[in-house]
Amino acid sequence: MVLATVCLLALFFLRDHPRVVGIQKMAIDGVAITTGVILAPVEAWDRMVAAMNSRSHLQEEVLRLQQENRVLKGQSQRLAALLSENARYKALLRSAQLIDDELIAAQIIAVSPDPSRHIVVVDKGTLDGVQQGQPMLGEEGLMGQIILSGERNSRAVLITDSAHALPVQVNRSGLRAIAEGSGAIDRLLIRHLPAKSDIRVGDLLVTSGLGGRFPNGYPVARVTEVVISEGEAFALVTAEPISALDRGRYVLVLQRTVGSGAES
Amino acid sequence: MERARASWVIYLSLVCGLLFMLLPFPLEWRIFRPDIATLTLFYWVLALPQRVGVTTAFFLGLGQDLIEGSPVGLSSLGLMISVLVLLSNYQRIRQFDGVQQSLMILVLLMLTSGAEQWLRNGMGMPGLPWLGLVGLFCSTVCWLVVREILRSLRRYYEVS
Repeated sequence: MVLATVCLLALFFLRDHPRVVGIQKMAIDGVAITTGVILAPVEAWDRMVAAMNSRSHLQEEVLRLQQENRVLKGQSQRLAALLSENARYKALLRSAQLIDDELIAAQIIAVSPDPSRHIVVVDKGTLDGVQQGQPMLGEEGLMGQIILSGERNSRAVLITDSAHALPVQVNRSGLRAIAEGSGAIDRLLIRHLPAKSDIRVGDLLVTSGLGGRFPNGYPVARVTEVVISEGEAFALVTAEPISALDRGRYVLVLQRTVGSGAES
Repeated sequence: MERARASWVIYLSLVCGLLFMLLPFPLEWRIFRPDIATLTLFYWVLALPQRVGVTTAFFLGLGQDLIEGSPVGLSSLGLMISVLVLLSNYQRIRQFDGVQQSLMILVLLMLTSGAEQWLRNGMGMPGLPWLGLVGLFCSTVCWLVVREILRSLRRYYEVS
């Protein structure tokens, strides 16, 4: 009886108590370490296989990567020019401060066993500068955000989690909407969009920057279905996340530092 | 009252059950993961009701919540209720044959996740999908295996 009371108390009143959160933070690190130990044989096997890869195979790989790197460098040159141009315009307009984004490379090391949530553990924590609320990016687009960070590891929720929603914008028309997670790994839902909105299958959804949590302009999802039923006030829009949320291990955590470019 | 013996076997097996939760499963397949920790707890309650009870259930639930990252205490309540049911009926359930016992375990697992579901609703968290019932069946299928393994462990180490 006493324990049941403690249980309910903990659930409903002490949820955000600093000590409870502290224990949860420690648990993240514990989970990460234990998973590491459990997976050590698998990792060792992978490393052995990699070591036995033939020399020519590796050379091919290096060539391919160099090629890719050159292309990317070329693209980022253009990006730098655009950024500085943008900064000049912003300075002319005397608008908001310039914001520099810094990326922290991290790895997904575990997935929460709770089947109703899409929560993962990444291997960077407060010691590396990862904080609660920072966006997490995949190779192609937005993946989720950090919800709790321990010292060396953090827990992040993916955008498809059914308790997650983020403000987005249709890249083509600038139409703003809220993309909710559906609980399925390949689907986002936009529920409350007037039936006559300008949105089509194939439209790219990017973060709109409203709400202040996600910076604007990061690709999120592509619209796969627009259902407009007669007599309904709202269209039901389904979208597929750009980044493969259930594949790949390497992610980037976005750390924002506010620069002072606008005053100059 | 004789002294408790080899209690480390009980706790080690429960910890192993929790470790099973950490084995990597693909995101979409997590739902079929049998809940070994809960089954282990049920076994020890059935076998040694004077040793393992509601308190153990409480702490096991805390462990599960910390691993899952859900609010602390979410799984505990359901486990405690099931263990109470088990404690008041253990003599009868021990007499059941395999199939009957498995069915009983299924009912208890449903009770556990039902209570958790109820708490989730109350807290506005996303509920378990309907497919979750399949996961309970997977756990039920594992019951006899878990029971045999733990029984041989108990006999070997003479846990009492």
